[in-house]
This record gives sequence, structure tokens and C-alpha cells, in this order.
Amino acid sequence: MPGTIDYSRITIVPDFDTAEWWMGTKQHKYLVRQCKSCGHKWFPPFPACNKCTSMDLTWFETAGKGVIHSYIVVTQPILSAFIETVPYVVALIELDDCHETDGALVRVAGVLLDDEEAVAMGLPVEVVFQQTNEPNIVIPRWKICGTAENTWKFVE
Amino acid sequence: MGNLTDKYCIVGVGETPHMRPSNRTTLSMACEAVKKAMANAGLEPRDIDGMTSYQAGDSTSSNHVATALGIRLNYSLDIFGGGSSTEALIAHAVGLLEGGYCKTIVIFRSMNGRSGRRMGGQAPSGPVPPTQAAGDQQFYMHWGWTTPAQWFGMSAMRYLRDSGATTKTFAEVAVAHRYHASLNPKAIMRAPITIEDHQRSRWVSKPLRLLDCCLETDVSAAIIITSRERAFDLKQPPVFIMGGTARTMAPSPAWNYSRPEIHYVAGNYGRNRLFGMAGISQKDVDIISCYDAFTFTTTIQLEAYGFCGKGEAKDFVKGGRLQIDHELPSNLSGGHLSEGYTHGISMVIENVRQLRHRADDACPRWEEGIHTYDRKAGCRQVKKARIAACLGWGTEATSSSAILRGIIG
Ligand SMILES: [Zn+2]
Repeated sequence: MPGTIDYSRITIVPDFDTAEWWMGTKQHKYLVRQCKSCGHKWFPPFPACNKCTSMDLTWFETAGKGVIHSYIVVTQPILSAFIETVPYVVALIELDDCHETDGALVRVAGVLLDDEEAVAMGLPVEVVFQQTNEPNIVIPRWKICGTAENTWKFVE
Repeated sequence: MGNLTDKYCIVGVGETPHMRPSNRTTLSMACEAVKKAMANAGLEPRDIDGMTSYQAGDSTSSNHVATALGIRLNYSLDIFGGGSSTEALIAHAVGLLEGGYCKTIVIFRSMNGRSGRRMGGQAPSGPVPPTQAAGDQQFYMHWGWTTPAQWFGMSAMRYLRDSGATTKTFAEVAVAHRYHASLNPKAIMRAPITIEDHQRSRWVSKPLRLLDCCLETDVSAAIIITSRERAFDLKQPPVFIMGGTARTMAPSPAWNYSRPEIHYVAGNYGRNRLFGMAGISQKDVDIISCYDAFTFTTTIQLEAYGFCGKGEAKDFVKGGRLQIDHELPSNLSGGHLSEGYTHGISMVIENVRQLRHRADDACPRWEEGIHTYDRKAGCRQVKKARIAACLGWGTEATSSSAILRGIIG
């Protein structure tokens, strides 16, 4: 398991477009933006629908489950919050319940609770909400929750 | 550009040394670069009446530089942006000159990219101290996913899976660009490297190693553009602007990492505009600058701009194809990987020098366009370099480009 992330070194500043999303994480909900006019879903929560331009929006509560589409293994810390964390895996996760009929989909990123040894593209993951020492900020992490066929792993 | 092809020319180029650190202001460095570009073209301050620059909140402005140098402007603009801004501002300059807003225009970049704001994301002395995650950063910082090496690394990793390439493909790019740097007295890293050296270098963010990453540098560089008619009266052989693209995007915009293929980058959507406007094909191109913030960005743009097919870069780069005296020499100054990082402008400058037949190498008479072509003696001039493609990179989702033509060779 990667080392601790010192969230006290990153002060999150919610804004007009994001405040409700951060409130969602406090209630252990992984939200994505959804258009009230056409139903399209997306993330990060840009303030307009890129299919129909509507700004009449809601939130869709995902099940917080998905598949690893890609990943990186960070070995050199850039922010001091991650000095104790390296090496850690950032995964790009394709959410299971945001696929649309025209092929549109939603991917999100997050730090895995698993080590590099365990990670592979194609594996299923689920969200785990992590309380930080700032009472108002809860951070979603992800953990591998099963096996899959046709996985791919970087082995160099 | 259609009927604007060849109507405007790059007539002057200049830059400060690549410094680590400069101990100078971005204003001081920009003044030096602009002065050198004017001297290179044979222009005086009174001849310049337009100036643009690009920056990331880390630099001086056109107005300051013009004021310092006694240049009276009819047009100035400072835009926000990094890689691929040079080619975008070349396109912008052509429009301004054609529209009569100004007659001769400077484009510059000035950055303390090593000692000041580091694009690699670290503070000048190491990891960033406690910081705020506002705006976009709310959805990157707490993921520990905050730097270009980490963002583009995500696409690079998926690319390796989808294409069957290995990091030896990336190594070929690093080796080629370093070989060119070994022929460039201005370059920071000049000792040639091998595939094995690349494979042994430490990881930064898998799948990218240290030798996949560019060299953050303190530097300023400038180019000057004017009409073909004026260009013929100036000091250097003119370099004609044949066509270009400016920050093209995919036709169905979405956050890149939710696009079907995260490594199907913007150049794929710009290449037909680029070559169509210039009226040439990839086969006509003698040399390229292919944005190398990372080896991966060069690799993927060889495919995006159609120099090889999708997924074929792994074979295309073999056998030194990107090296001088081979089929498609890339980043002849050493590029951002080995000469130094300038957010793209130095790659355009190198192409201009090559097309003039005046690469500033170890040949004693390079300023007259006389070269030995003896690589062991330090000549880096490409024989008969006539057409150059400048392939900029902003992110996976945005790209600018330009095709330039010389009259020598
Ligand atoms: Zn909509």
C-alpha cells in the first residue's frame, strides 16, 4: 500500500462549479455532472453540457465502480503532500454506469490504495472515501475489487 | 493558407543562452533575444511595429520589451499558453500582416523555466510546499496527478498497450535528439547516449524515465516575420511560411481522458489542414521539429501528422530514422530533451537556420552557408534541407503546426 498522503498540504478551494461535488464526497457519493436537457454525463464538472450547451444541470450519483483504463506509477513526488506517498499509482478509471448509447463515457482519476504490483489495465476497482484532517474535505481513493481476463500490465 | 502560402517570411531569429539559472529577469532576457533577432535580420527598432508573446503567468509583456528597446508598436498581444503557441502565433502573425495591422512582427517567449516557475510542476528547489487546489487543480492535485509528465504519461501508458510499442521506441527519440545536441554548441546536454543509457535512467513517472523528459531551462528566444517583399531586402535568405494550424482540437470536444482513445491526439485532426494549406505531402518534408517535452510527444505526433501510420511509430523510429543523414531528421538542435526547454520556439528557430543552410555549428564558415557535412567535425547542417514541418504540442487535446520552406539546397 502506498504511503500516506498529507492532505494538510493541499488546501482544496471549492467554487461555484464544484462545491456540490465536494459536499457529495462528504456523504460518500461519487457524483458526475449530468445535463437535465439531454441526459449527457461528464467529469470534471464543467459548467455546460458539451453535447447541447445546456447549463441546466444536475448531478448523477455513480455506483463508484469502474475499470482501470490506464495508469501511471509516480516515483518522484512533485507536491510535498506526496513525499511520503511515492511510489503510488494514479489510475484512470472508466466508470461502469456512465456509458451512453453514442459511445460517450466518463473516466475519472484517483490514487489507488493498491501497489504497482497489483495494478493492471482492465481490472475492476471501487471507490473508497478517505476522511482528511480537514473536516469538510473527503477524498475518493480507489481499490482493486476483483479479477478480469485480458488485463495488461507494464512490466519494464 | 491557400493564396497566402509563401507570402510571409521568417527573417530573423535569436536567443539567449540556455541558462540554469539565469539570475536575470524575463524582461532582460527578452530584450537580448529580440535584439539578437533584429541583428540577425538586419532590422532596426524602428523597423518593428508588432510584437506578441506567450506565457503562463511567468513572464514579461510585449509592451515592456518594446518600451525597453525603444520600439513603437502598432500591435501587441501577450497570450496564455505553452507548447504549440509559437506555431499558433505564426498563424496569427500572418493574419495580422495580411490585414495591415502591422508590417514586421516579433514573437518571443521568455521564461525562467528552471529557476522560476517550473513547468515540470516542482518548486525551484524541489517538491511544492503546502499549496491551494483551486479551479481545475481541484481535480488533479488530490489525485497526485499534477504535471505534464504525469498527464501525458497516462496516455503514453495506454499507447504502449494499444500499439505494442515498448519504451525502446521512446529511447530511439531520446538518442536521436541527443545526437543532434552533440552537434549543437548551444545545447545543455551534449554527451551522446545509447538506448541502454535511456533504459537505465531512473523512473520519473512510469512509463517515463528521466531521459524521456525535457530540460527545464532559463531562456528567451525570438523570431521576426514580415512580408516576402521586405524579406528579400534583408540580411538572411528568407524562410517562407507555407501553411499552418493554430491550436486545432478534436471534432467532438470532451475532456481528453474521457475520449475514446486518449492517445489519439489533436495533430490527427490538424494534419489535413496543415498539408492541404501548404500544398505538399509528408513525403516532401526534409526535416521536422516534433515537440519533445517528452519522447512520447514526439513519438505520437509522428503518427498524428501522418509520417507513419497509427501504431507504427515503433517500427518507424528504428534504425536511426530520426537522425541527421537519415530519412526524417527530427529536432536538429537537440530539442527540448537535450538543447533546452523553450515551449517550442527554439525548435522553429532551428528549422529556420537549417532552411537557410546556416546551422550555427562547428563549421568555421557556417554564417556564409558553407558547411563540411562532417558530423565528426561537428557539422549539423542537413544537406539540401528545403522543407521543414514544425509540429507543436499543447496537450493531447490541442496542437499547432507550421510548414516552412527555404530557398537554398
Ligand atoms: Zn445536454
